[in-house]
Amino acid sequence: MKALIFGLTAISLVALAPGLSYSADCTTKVGAVLPTSVDWGRPIAATARMAVDLYNKAGGVKGCKVELILRDTQVDPKVGVDAAKALVDLDKVPVLIGAVSSGVSMPILTSVSVPSNVMQISCCSSSTVFTGLAKDGKTKGLWFRTFTTSRNHAAVAAKIIKAKGYNNLVIFYKNDDWGQDIGKLVKADLEALGVTVKASIAINDGQPSYRAEVVEALKSNPEAAYVALYPKEGIATMREWISLGGTQNLVVANSLRSEEFRDSVGIKYLGKMVGHDSAAPRTASAASFTALYKEAFKKEPSGPGLPNIFDAVMIALLAMEVSPTLSGDVIARSVSKVTDPNGTPIFPDEAGIKQASALLAQGKTIRYQGGTGAVTFDQYGDVSAPGLSWNFSEKGIVELDYITSEDINEFINSLKK
Amino acid sequence: MIGIVSYLVFFLTMGFVLSIAVLGLNLQWGYTGLFNGGVAAFFGAGAYGVILFGGSNKAGQLIGFGLPYPFAVAGAVLLAGLLAWIVGLITTHLRHDYLAIATFGVAIAVENFARNAEPITGGAKGLRGFERPFETVINDPFWFNLAYLIFVFVVLIIVYNILENIGQSPFGRLLRAIREDEVAAQSLGKSPARVRLQAFIFGSMIMGLSGALYATFYAFISPQDIVPILTFQIWSMLIVGGSGNNKGAVFGTLIVWAGWVGSGWVLTQFAPVEMQLYIGTIQFIMIGLIIVLTLLIRPKGLLPEKLIISRSVARVKPE
Repeated sequence: MKALIFGLTAISLVALAPGLSYSADCTTKVGAVLPTSVDWGRPIAATARMAVDLYNKAGGVKGCKVELILRDTQVDPKVGVDAAKALVDLDKVPVLIGAVSSGVSMPILTSVSVPSNVMQISCCSSSTVFTGLAKDGKTKGLWFRTFTTSRNHAAVAAKIIKAKGYNNLVIFYKNDDWGQDIGKLVKADLEALGVTVKASIAINDGQPSYRAEVVEALKSNPEAAYVALYPKEGIATMREWISLGGTQNLVVANSLRSEEFRDSVGIKYLGKMVGHDSAAPRTASAASFTALYKEAFKKEPSGPGLPNIFDAVMIALLAMEVSPTLSGDVIARSVSKVTDPNGTPIFPDEAGIKQASALLAQGKTIRYQGGTGAVTFDQYGDVSAPGLSWNFSEKGIVELDYITSEDINEFINSLKK
Repeated sequence: MIGIVSYLVFFLTMGFVLSIAVLGLNLQWGYTGLFNGGVAAFFGAGAYGVILFGGSNKAGQLIGFGLPYPFAVAGAVLLAGLLAWIVGLITTHLRHDYLAIATFGVAIAVENFARNAEPITGGAKGLRGFERPFETVINDPFWFNLAYLIFVFVVLIIVYNILENIGQSPFGRLLRAIREDEVAAQSLGKSPARVRLQAFIFGSMIMGLSGALYATFYAFISPQDIVPILTFQIWSMLIVGGSGNNKGAVFGTLIVWAGWVGSGWVLTQFAPVEMQLYIGTIQFIMIGLIIVLTLLIRPKGLLPEKLIISRSVARVKPE
């Protein structure tokens, strides 16, 4: 036992010894708190690393190599908060990337980032609580997320459903913060449009069967179904739905934009399906995120949050580049120079980053266009993006209609009346 | 330097908050032999309780009483106690693993309630807390965290002393008597069922207090905070520290929590860059190793229970 205590003490002493871990090279540290130990979290972390590597290839931030310090959250809020605090206090990072779950990002924001004046940018936290916090001025402008808010997505979904002419439907939503939010918003939007929502069915993770939920939904005999689920539950639910004679008039969320879903449910049942998503940039100069991803990982970027984390990291690094000092609030204020709608459009491949650095050095602004499109933040750190509708073909995913941000905002405003 | 101190203050705050929950479990398991598999439920009742009682009524929210902080904490503790009373009445005839399964189910039910009862608990998106007490007065994050650490430490000392006194009192001996041999205790005219219920409720209220301090510190609570892993963490802290020994409970908490989060930090400092993606996974292996090794080397925990048969007789070493 003495040996164990001695061992643990020795490890902690070595670990705490200052100056041991880094050489004096010019490096800039950025912290990331992501669920690397979870199957869907690791690709997100790998994409964050890919973005940093790409940035370093283009010369780094202010000529310094960026060092991404990656910590696991275990999707446990207290573990994530502790990791964030260690990054801020011990590694002195001015920017935190993460987390994924809102339930982890939020305590990090309230108890670490805001008190310590650190900018925090998340790829995937969707909770509306963040917007509320920002409206109350409690985020001090330090909070950003590249995940298009559920408000925006829900409006696109409602617009598509209305355009399809469905008079009534059922909603399947994933029973987490994202699913509850979007399920509720779509329902409210549809009711404002005069479409009857016959039932809203919560789908919990990891059940062996969703027959009870599907039967419940079938009782109301709906004309269509709106599905806001992740592929795993989405596949299980839709297989039961279709096998029990549920309608094939499906509208699905961006989370089901995966070939796994198409192949597991079967494309012959998905002919009438249409999905919604935020749109990718439509500028000629933009090489696509997908190409970069394929080059790095030799496979398609499928899985939630990959373009979002790429954009989060890139925007953070570009903001650091243009920021006069590397302190959280100054970097956060510099984000607007990177996402200026009147700036020069930039896609962050190696050449793009170099061009961006040069433009920013001349005092010009740029308009960042990344994996999720032309990103623009509102004053609460939420992103508003254009939308699109899509469906599956034998070969892949086909984009159908493009819906501009202005259209979406107009649509949301028209619902308020 | 200030960074290290600032981090340690933060680390110890969470360590002490968790210690309080571990002390509550020690009363139930260490003293009385009650296998509570639903620690997260009572912790969660306290955590949600403090925000519901202390927070203001927000849009779309049914409850929010805006009580002053001490009343909010008291309400949170009572809420945890109330839950324990109901659960205890139903499960009082259950023993060991059956009690564990029943309480584990309660914890899942509480988590699902929190996830779905949106008008009350804010649902999966969580519930924002209130202004942390004295934060505006102190107005400096470092000094506030230090003040909060001292506050939590004082609460820990109070809880610790109460439990030590209970342990040495006739009631404490009764608890251990029931743990060791219920029939024998009953034959002496004691009512094991009632005493077990009392220990269950009191221990759960202490867990509720811990949850209340936790939610106050983060000023936020979501179902993510009360998932089953929390119950496992609290249990491993008690087992590693030494069940039946309050010092062991606190010590075990700090050791396990340091191993839990410290392993991640050590790994990021020393692992090569290519390995960084797998650090989270390795961290889990290290956490398991720490727990298993402690149990192999010290099966009764780092600080085992001190059995005192009578104060006038010398201490007996545990077998």
